[in-house]
Amino acid sequence: MTLPARSSGTNPVLALVLGWILPGAGHAYGGRWGKAVLFFVTINGLLVGGMVLGGGTVIQKSLWLIAQLWAGGSVLALWPISNYYSALGPIDWANRLHEMGTLYTAIAGFLNLLVMMDAYIRIAFPDRPADKENA
Amino acid sequence: MWDAISGFFLHLLAASNPLWWYYPLCAVVAVVYKATKHDEPRKIILGSLHFFAWVSIGLFVLAVVLYLIQILL
Repeated sequence: MTLPARSSGTNPVLALVLGWILPGAGHAYGGRWGKAVLFFVTINGLLVGGMVLGGGTVIQKSLWLIAQLWAGGSVLALWPISNYYSALGPIDWANRLHEMGTLYTAIAGFLNLLVMMDAYIRIAFPDRPADKENA
Repeated sequence: MWDAISGFFLHLLAASNPLWWYYPLCAVVAVVYKATKHDEPRKIILGSLHFFAWVSIGLFVLAVVLYLIQILL
């Protein structure tokens, strides 16, 4: 498989993988430190906020995990905490705040997928215009 | 009907309504989405505000319209 032209010897696939391991790390690898910090803070903030809203039990083996796992390393780090709180008592799946917390973490996962793809595209296609008007 | 409409708004705007939690979520989605589209901080900020306003106001209007349709039909 031939990868598209790259800028300054950076590997777009590595940016994708780093972005999955730690939100924002793909952009840091590509030298975009401002965006890396922004994505790290917002996506991890959404994950932690979701955990707090849902009483610390929102990362479970359920269909939601398919979305949550896109936030990669951060979700894997929070999973043991969720398991710990889940073991303390039954989870109230009908609780609105638990629903909201689960949604926060799932959206954080999908947002990180978007961020990972952005990190990949910006390295793989360096000639692509940065700002897309009318987007 | 006016009681139903006022009750709807009282319920919708009550501080205890968990739907308020959609607003921080919408704000974060707006910032991340626009930051992947633009490089200039000014464009990211303005784009995020635009996105946030359209989504939050649009969903509020949609909720009101759906509720009115429900009680009128």
